[in-house]
Amino acid sequence: MRRVMFWIAVVIVLCAFILPIAWVYVTSLKSPEDIFRPEKLAFLPTLYNYKYIVTVRPSLLEFRNALIITLASTALVMGVSLPAAYSFARFNTGGGHLLFITISTRMFPPVVAAIPFFFLFRDWGLLDTHLGLILLYIYFNMSFATFLLYGFFREIPEELEHAAMVDGYGRLSIFRKVIFPLIKPGAAITTVFCLVWAWNEFLFAFLFTRRVARTVAVGLAVFWGSIEIQWGPMAALMGLAILPTLAAAWFMQRFIIRGLTFGAVKG
Amino acid sequence: MAVKDFTLDIKDGEFIILVGPSGCGKTTTLRSIAGLEEVTGGEIYIGDRLVNDVPPKDRDIAMVFQNYALYPHMDVYRNMSFGLRLRKTPKDKINEIVRRTAKMMGIGELLSRKPKELSGGQRQRVALGRAIVRDPKVFLFDEPLSNLDAKLRIAMRAELLDLHRRLKTTTIYVTHDQLEAMTMGDRIVVMKDAVIQQVDAPQQVYDHPLNEYVAGFIGSPAMNFLPCRIARKNGNFYASSESFNLKIPPDNAKSLADYVGKSVILGIRPEHITIRSQAGKYDPEMAFKGSVWVTEPLGSEKIVYVKNGQNTIVTRLDPRVEVRVGETAEFVARMALSHIFDEETEKTVY
Repeated sequence: MRRVMFWIAVVIVLCAFILPIAWVYVTSLKSPEDIFRPEKLAFLPTLYNYKYIVTVRPSLLEFRNALIITLASTALVMGVSLPAAYSFARFNTGGGHLLFITISTRMFPPVVAAIPFFFLFRDWGLLDTHLGLILLYIYFNMSFATFLLYGFFREIPEELEHAAMVDGYGRLSIFRKVIFPLIKPGAAITTVFCLVWAWNEFLFAFLFTRRVARTVAVGLAVFWGSIEIQWGPMAALMGLAILPTLAAAWFMQRFIIRGLTFGAVKG
Repeated sequence: MAVKDFTLDIKDGEFIILVGPSGCGKTTTLRSIAGLEEVTGGEIYIGDRLVNDVPPKDRDIAMVFQNYALYPHMDVYRNMSFGLRLRKTPKDKINEIVRRTAKMMGIGELLSRKPKELSGGQRQRVALGRAIVRDPKVFLFDEPLSNLDAKLRIAMRAELLDLHRRLKTTTIYVTHDQLEAMTMGDRIVVMKDAVIQQVDAPQQVYDHPLNEYVAGFIGSPAMNFLPCRIARKNGNFYASSESFNLKIPPDNAKSLADYVGKSVILGIRPEHITIRSQAGKYDPEMAFKGSVWVTEPLGSEKIVYVKNGQNTIVTRLDPRVEVRVGETAEFVARMALSHIFDEETEKTVY
């Protein structure tokens, strides 16, 4: 009986997660006439919508934009957050205040920052540029990444570094040979989180880009016109846009378990 | 923890033990020698070299940590060779040293295992092996046995001693366990509140503690401390209280003249008290009465707690002695082996 209840619960949860995604892919394969006839379960699949987003309304540029912005912002965030988090965790840099200030940028609704940023970016000519959006995403992801990595670094016993020092290594090579291999799962998770967040981010991409730097997330909303909603092409683009995040989620599940139980592998 | 006025000259090849309660500064001292702690005053020499400003990597020391600090992502071989690889030692030389040491430590079969696949004792051996392959000037041990279970701890204690006899490397060993200190050290350094209390060979520390703290710290069960007063009668000195009056042998009493009539602390070890039936020929002026409160038969000995007035006196008796709880008996103290401590300064008077 308990097993039955367990599986019913599993099925309900699975449906809640999978059905919307399934709807996206099913809709993307339907012809415009079939989309509003849900009672008709069997339909003739067509690639019409996919052709549409490639030829009629080219969306590949938006993919490229999102890719550039996501990768660049994440790379820069990790480049700064890794040493910053290490420093916070090991040397208590700033006596805790600096770390708090870093995190506090995440505590107010992001839209609060939108207006000052907008004027600033307008004056600096950063509106609708890749660089502008990259800077914004660095601002938002850095605090989060630093805090997450801080936790992972804290899990590494200080004695490991001391042992390496006594073994004859300097700070930099210790970071490279001892600390980094141990932080890898944590760094991987953090990287994936940053990638996914930047890829999916809508609000700022919507406010700060028009045409040149428009990302996929914003591109999706454009199908929602004043005359009609183009469900088919929108579903097709959605289907493509969530592929990278699905891949990230798949990749992450291997690491997230290890990352969360990181403390158990103490030396 | 700030350690003050720590002056110690360690001879080449000596096995020195820093012992004291947790928070007494012994680990801080060790870490200062390793270079992991900044030294704000004073000088540390290794050999003839002043090492205050030498970073840990250039001090030619090896350290074994309490939690072993093995690199979790490296197998045993890489853990042990990590320090050597940096020193540009040729590959086949490294291989030879690591394999020889691993064999000596009994971990030759484990070279390809990761630390998490090892038991506590094996990890301990790897940590030791990692220190040994480096062939350093000084070994630093920071409570290396405290994470092992009791049986393994005793076995490793013997192995460490054997190792030291073979390698003859100067060793500084930190522990809070007075038994480890007594059994392993050439000399032991008793510390309390960041200050050295006494430095001497274990037997000397046991026989001639410099103050009340050292006397109580070394030895198990701990020394009995009995508040009393020095009295003088017929040319003899007595440690006297409401519940006992014990004669102090003339050899011990030389320094007591100034203390007549003053309050002092009499210190006497449990093993220096016997029950009258076991005492053979004894001086009745060195005996006291007490009622048996608790007995703890340990097989090889019997620990008996005796109530004497306000005091609870611990005695260590032959296991075959029959004592009943509640029974009043006479006990004989070997006063020649007792100590008197100044009540105020806690220093040893004799």
